[in-house]
Amino acid sequence: MNFLSDIGHVLLTADLWRATLEAAALLLLPALGGVISERSGVVNIAMEGMMLTGAFFAVVADLAWHNPWLAALVGIVAGGLMALIHAVVSIRFRADQIVSGIAINIFAAGLTLFLVQRIFGLQDVGHVGQSELLPYINIPVLDQIPFLGRVLFQQNVVVYAALILLVVVQVMLFRTRLGLRIRSVGEHPQAADTAGINVFAIRYGAVITSGLLSGLAGAFLAIGISNTFVPNMTDGRGYIALAAMIFGKWTPIGAFVACLIFGLGQAIYDANSIIHVSQYLLSMLPYILTLVVLAGVVGRSIPPAADGIPYAPENE
Amino acid sequence: MAASTATIGRRPGPRWASAARRVAGGFAVPLGSVVFAFLVGGLIVAVTGGNPFAAYQGLLCGGLGIACSTTTGENPALQISTTIVFFTPLLMTGIAVALPFRAGLFNIGAEGQLLAGSVACTIIGIKFSNLPAPILLPMVLLGGTLAGAVWAGVPGVLKATIGAHEVVTTIMLNYIAQWLVRFLIVGGPLQAANGFSASSPIGAGAYLPLFLPNDNSLIIFGLPAGVYRVHTGLLIGLAALVIFAILLWRTSLGYEIRAVGQSPRAARYGGINVARTIIVTMLIAGAFSGLAGAIQIAGVDHNLTDKYFNDTTGFDAIAVALLGLGSAVGILFASILFGALHAGGSVMQADAGISSSLVQILQALILFSIAANFLRVLRLPVFGQRPSAPAPTAPAAALMTEAAKAPPVET
Amino acid sequence: MGHSRLKFLGMVGLALMLLAACGSSPAPASKTFKIGLVTDIGGLNDKSFNHLADVGLEKAKTDFKIQGDVVESKSGDDYVPNLTNFASKKYDLVIGVGFLMQTAVGTVSGQFPNVNFAIIDGAGTDKDFNDLKHPNVESLFFKEQDAGAMVGALAGLLEKGGKSKKPGHVISAVGGISIPPVNHYIAGYKWAATMEDPGIKVLVGYSNDFTDPAKCKNVAANQIASKSDILFQVAGGCGLGVLQAAGQAGVYSIGVDADQKDADPSVIASALKKVDVATYTAIQNVVNGKFQGGALTFSIANDGAGYAIDNLTVPADIQTALDDLKAKIKAGTLTPPADIPA
Repeated sequence: MNFLSDIGHVLLTADLWRATLEAAALLLLPALGGVISERSGVVNIAMEGMMLTGAFFAVVADLAWHNPWLAALVGIVAGGLMALIHAVVSIRFRADQIVSGIAINIFAAGLTLFLVQRIFGLQDVGHVGQSELLPYINIPVLDQIPFLGRVLFQQNVVVYAALILLVVVQVMLFRTRLGLRIRSVGEHPQAADTAGINVFAIRYGAVITSGLLSGLAGAFLAIGISNTFVPNMTDGRGYIALAAMIFGKWTPIGAFVACLIFGLGQAIYDANSIIHVSQYLLSMLPYILTLVVLAGVVGRSIPPAADGIPYAPENE
Repeated sequence: MAASTATIGRRPGPRWASAARRVAGGFAVPLGSVVFAFLVGGLIVAVTGGNPFAAYQGLLCGGLGIACSTTTGENPALQISTTIVFFTPLLMTGIAVALPFRAGLFNIGAEGQLLAGSVACTIIGIKFSNLPAPILLPMVLLGGTLAGAVWAGVPGVLKATIGAHEVVTTIMLNYIAQWLVRFLIVGGPLQAANGFSASSPIGAGAYLPLFLPNDNSLIIFGLPAGVYRVHTGLLIGLAALVIFAILLWRTSLGYEIRAVGQSPRAARYGGINVARTIIVTMLIAGAFSGLAGAIQIAGVDHNLTDKYFNDTTGFDAIAVALLGLGSAVGILFASILFGALHAGGSVMQADAGISSSLVQILQALILFSIAANFLRVLRLPVFGQRPSAPAPTAPAAALMTEAAKAPPVET
Repeated sequence: MGHSRLKFLGMVGLALMLLAACGSSPAPASKTFKIGLVTDIGGLNDKSFNHLADVGLEKAKTDFKIQGDVVESKSGDDYVPNLTNFASKKYDLVIGVGFLMQTAVGTVSGQFPNVNFAIIDGAGTDKDFNDLKHPNVESLFFKEQDAGAMVGALAGLLEKGGKSKKPGHVISAVGGISIPPVNHYIAGYKWAATMEDPGIKVLVGYSNDFTDPAKCKNVAANQIASKSDILFQVAGGCGLGVLQAAGQAGVYSIGVDADQKDADPSVIASALKKVDVATYTAIQNVVNGKFQGGALTFSIANDGAGYAIDNLTVPADIQTALDDLKAKIKAGTLTPPADIPA
């Protein structure tokens, strides 16, 4: 059982855990977005499309203006605009939110590919220069801590942002008045409306926020981890984020735990150069692990009561 | 109240009028959405420097065999046959998504269930390759059906017993299935001898018969007969739709499924075993998807190939089920549409130079306009519920909830 | 001048004119050849051989009178329909890119014996991957192991001489999927590196992806953590992540298929697979009426495979060793293996 000891060795390296955290952060951002959106009562399965859109426009902007921060902003906004489509269709037109979400994902895939071929033709999409990527920042002093320093403090700037956002969103949702409003809109919109809360504004805001976060994740993927755009480069991460959100019972911390599981699985798989077992069996790890944990520990995931039901105030 | 199942959600009036209205109304909005999508898509093409007319001619010709230009010389019969081959599996995977929707479940795992069916079909087809057709063919199809059922049954059981959300479990099983396929054919036990990323072929007895003999000396519609790959899986798919419709509307199980979908709590009070219904629904859905997977192998590929590393049939099925409004007829037409778009995209690219990504944009636009238009504008009963304006339920979306709460009924 | 001389000149002139008129008969209407190119699922922007095939087609468009149409296959389901479309329209040459299409080419070429087919990286085969040897199919094989060997030798020599960034006698390769074209490259790489530096360790990992750079970057990062300081990417678009990882870690990387020196400053060499040359050759054969079924092999011997040095000044002794190896492979005295040595 050579591979078990290989895996054991790999698990003891700081690099593995650093990679885990990075992969988890990439999934966490859209998952947080999904949590916010669904907590306000709008089902959002469009993270994949919003992330992909953010990735594409971030690369285009970075190639044009050579500034990763500006480009990241463009990616964030692009994600937000995709979310706006979902918001309008779902809230204003009271459409079926799953249909809308699926449509966004298909639309983003088609649109980005279409634009790649229209803008770049047969040329390469082009690579962003090393200095124009979202930087990895080693936090001084703290990064010298053995093991943990490498894991926690030698990460990309977006990873730090994601961790901060994790805390912010968790606190916001469960400890602030805004969070209370969001959650009440998601549980009992009629009552919230009666209490004077603007249900539509909250929902629009929540959905757009989910787009902004997914767009940031896309930008991170395209001009932080990678340095170019490849069609469909998000590769299902949006759906994993969706699963993480549900697994985490629509809480940021819970979603983060799921993201860590997936990140760990991914990181172990990436070490297949030195783990001597079928890489295919290895890659099933995170999914089997999730199933087991879900079945054994997590159990029932109950979403917000009004999740998915378009709101129609009585006096409209 | 002893209302028969067929009267729930039906408007007053003679049954045929109601049925006719439903069919006509059922067509109007999806048709309108398709037209809207094509208009916007044409605009996108024109704005980015392409020729929308050439693009659409390519789509129509490649997808439906109509409006083919004589200069490029496409063969309409060939195009139609390609479209049929593309949409055949969607018929069944569409059911695999639509049926659980009726029960309030979101089966995002149709792809994994299809893969399970393909794998089972291949394994049986290789292992028993010497058996003759009357025995082997039913075996592989049955094997695929059972494998798909199991693949969906696991999430079903987890949902019914501990409430594990089926979106998570089915997504996980999708990935597990994909890696299983890779494991089996890249350096794995099913790999064809020469080290290629595909399995050995299944025995000839497992081949689904084609409509036209695979004889290249026979010239039909100007081309050798072997190019028309339409296989009898089409008939199985059509039969599946009929079974689906009968199951849903004419059996007590169908009634239970719809009742659970409307409100599990009310169904439980009404004496329905909700857990059992959930499990059975998923088993049947997985069965349909697994059957589709088996049919793909038995009818088209005849071996398991690396095309399954990025197969999207199960995901297209979600769009097909939604576009088809969850009804058998709807799934039929939505499948034809998606199959035609798929086939047409290649011709469009070859003839007009427009990337087939336009096809995805069109699909998305159709879905958007379906989602945004139909309930509000036409207030049709959807999934058997009463039309309620101005706040219709969003049934598919409400499936993320444990108990679909009916909105306040407005008049 | 006498009358008779003028008359003579006039006769000569007339004769010359008649001769000229006879000689320049009107040129026959030249035929526009119709060429169809079917890519595999990597698409035209794969930064790898689909792209190169199209480059070859475009060049042929400028040099010859041809109509070139391209269709990107979106999935494995599309191979047969796309090939059949072109064949049914009686195109002069239908080119399939990639060995994933072998059985499709085998099937369709059997249905259209009067249409010419070419396939890159494979042959027209049956379902068991036996070459059907249809006379209308021209196989364009590449000896990727030749190209892999050249860059492997470079890597080995750099490690041996302590000239790499963090010399430690460990190098690595990241493959897309474990399929023959990928493994040929890696086989040559490992063989040559071991030959030049016997104490070397060559790590091999797969990303199972040809498109997502982040995946390959992570696999590469693991190899770098295991002390590899020269990384060979054999993973198409995904492999660009390998180059990026090497750049960020300050070590060397090697590109594949096309010259990837602009992809990242860490690229010191690229293993070349001249798919564009092969495509162009196939088209040229058809235009010149010289199409022939069978196999054409592109290797270092006929300059169909090779290597390029990028972003690196190669010391003279290493260059000599490389030239020497190239000559030996060309002459056949040394043959890089097609399968990865243990």
